[in-house]
Amino acid sequence: MKKRTSILGGAAAIAATFVVFVIPFIFIILMAFKDRQQSALRDFSWPTGFHFWENVVEVVKTRNWMMITAFINSSIITVVSVTLLVIFAAMVGYVLARRKTRWNGLIEFLVLAGLMVPPAVVPTIWLLQGLKLFGTLHGMILIEVAYNLPFSIILYRAFVATIPRDLDEAAIIDGARPLDVFFRVVLPLLWPVTVTNIVVQSVGIFNDFTNPLYYLPGNANATVQLTLYNFQSQFSTAYNLLFTNILLITIPPLLVFMFFNRQIVAGMTAGAVKG
Amino acid sequence: MTKTKTKLIALMGASTLGMLMTASAVQAQQSGYLSILVDNGPQSIATMEAWAEAYKAMNPDVTIDIEVRPGGGEGDNIVKTRLATGAMADVFSYNSGSLFQAINPTQNLLPLTNEAFQDGVQDSFKSVVSAGGEVYGAPFAPAMGGGIFYNKPIYEELGLEIPTTWDEFMANNEAIKEAGKVAVIQTYADTWTSQLFVLSDFYNVLAEEPDFAEKFTANEAKFAATPAALRGFEKLQEVAEAGYFNADFGAATYADGVRMIAMGEGAHYPMLTFAVGAIAETAPDYLDDVGFFAQPGDSAENNGLTTWMPDSVYVAANTASPDLAKDFVAFIASPEGCDIRNEAVGATGPYMVAGCELPADVPPSVSDMLPYFQEGGQNAPALEFLSPVKGPALEQILVEVGTGSRDAASAAALYDEDVRKQAQQLGLEGW
Repeated sequence: MKKRTSILGGAAAIAATFVVFVIPFIFIILMAFKDRQQSALRDFSWPTGFHFWENVVEVVKTRNWMMITAFINSSIITVVSVTLLVIFAAMVGYVLARRKTRWNGLIEFLVLAGLMVPPAVVPTIWLLQGLKLFGTLHGMILIEVAYNLPFSIILYRAFVATIPRDLDEAAIIDGARPLDVFFRVVLPLLWPVTVTNIVVQSVGIFNDFTNPLYYLPGNANATVQLTLYNFQSQFSTAYNLLFTNILLITIPPLLVFMFFNRQIVAGMTAGAVKG
Repeated sequence: MTKTKTKLIALMGASTLGMLMTASAVQAQQSGYLSILVDNGPQSIATMEAWAEAYKAMNPDVTIDIEVRPGGGEGDNIVKTRLATGAMADVFSYNSGSLFQAINPTQNLLPLTNEAFQDGVQDSFKSVVSAGGEVYGAPFAPAMGGGIFYNKPIYEELGLEIPTTWDEFMANNEAIKEAGKVAVIQTYADTWTSQLFVLSDFYNVLAEEPDFAEKFTANEAKFAATPAALRGFEKLQEVAEAGYFNADFGAATYADGVRMIAMGEGAHYPMLTFAVGAIAETAPDYLDDVGFFAQPGDSAENNGLTTWMPDSVYVAANTASPDLAKDFVAFIASPEGCDIRNEAVGATGPYMVAGCELPADVPPSVSDMLPYFQEGGQNAPALEFLSPVKGPALEQILVEVGTGSRDAASAAALYDEDVRKQAQQLGLEGW
């Protein structure tokens, strides 16, 4: 009896997942196969002709191969800023969790403030211009690191608390210097939450739209999400090309998710034990 | 060793001199780098790319980089942010009229008042890109009209005539409804499309109240208290109450509306004439099936079109190459520029530049619009080009009227109230 309800529950969960996640994806794929006139109907129907390949060629070639530039830029921004995020957030989280000083309260308040206070665009651009970083990829990377650091710090700080102090002490007694303790003992132990960080932040940064829109002007600086604007405008949208574009730029995050799937679940539950 | 070096330097000097001489020989040509920011409408991009190609062919030493921005509210933010931070492209396209006033033109833009090309630009256009006594823009596109698109096959099938009065229009609607077809297309998923019955009625308002715009700006005239101005609201209410709308009018989008009018799924669609471009893209085979007429008033003699000014191209005040930018803008606003536009995206309406010709084979919806602009034709600008006052909630209020949840009189009164807030923000006198 109990088994039957659990099977029913499982079937319901699968059905719900199918409706919420799979059907929209099928819709995207179907739209990518249609021509412009059929796609303007935006209905859930079988494509009347096979236009996928010409759509892909059109999307990739549009605006002087902007898609290629965009993929390169987005990859650089994502990889570099996630690397920096992981290193810095792990360090800050480790120190915050291990070393209790009277500054902890203030620092934690500032980290939370970074999460809550919305960043203002124009003053940030002035700052970047003053540092000669405006409209450059490394300026954009620093922005992504700054905006996402508080979230990563909080994840790491909660997780470090679950690692016994004895491990640090054992390493110190064995003669490890402070940096060795962190990089050779603690950081490997943080792997589950590091994976969570990598997945959450890289999907977030890869899919970031508004920040590149304002902080990274110029054709040479296009990122993948901005290529959507090539096909969608205020009064006219080429839905077949738009959905082909969406399909193409969905693939990298999908791959990341498929490869790290198991570790994500492990990392989330591991981080959730103690907060 | 030293000797060869000296020789080399002398040689380099000579070749530099030679280069300088060739440069001065073609002084009429421009050189340098020009960045352009254009909105991402397919027509805007195609036109700007065609202009840039043609300009580069004439001036081989010029490099042009076209960057694309979104339209709508996001586009407003981008333009304002980039102007405020000095990161604007040398030349950019943006709205004329009240949105132009909102980007602080006297501070952010380069005046183009004394450029030679302005002689050929119509005064009505100059007035909507002027601030503080200076003209800042050049027309980016042809003029537009606001009126009613109609499906020609349906008109032919039912033997209908183009209406010149509102009563004839309603009679046509009745005949179309009796034939079992959709008489009027409305698309309230894109709320802005609900405004056309009121906004395109402004020619008829001006015909009866020539000074409505000034009085409206000075808080002396109200929509609710002026019968002629109230008519626009009443017209929408009449059409809605008669049940002429398509069944899915609440959920249909602008793109649906364009498709429906082109393919004969509906007979009338009130819209701005820029929809001709959208029809040409989504349903090119049906372009010749769509005609256009001005929104009829109450008298047949006084039938005229409410017109919209096109977007404009501007030069940023802090551009590194003002001469090149001005020369490029002059090229856009020349008859040659119009020809290039015609070739790139086709003709969508009459040009604002003297000497610009439309090709002979324009789509019927465009040729239907031309008589209103020619000698003996009648047209008047929309209210938003005569008064800075436009309430932000007009589209929502009109959706209420169209769905039957509010009557015309109370909608007009509500809009007068909506307008008050905006006028006070602008700091106008008398509010």
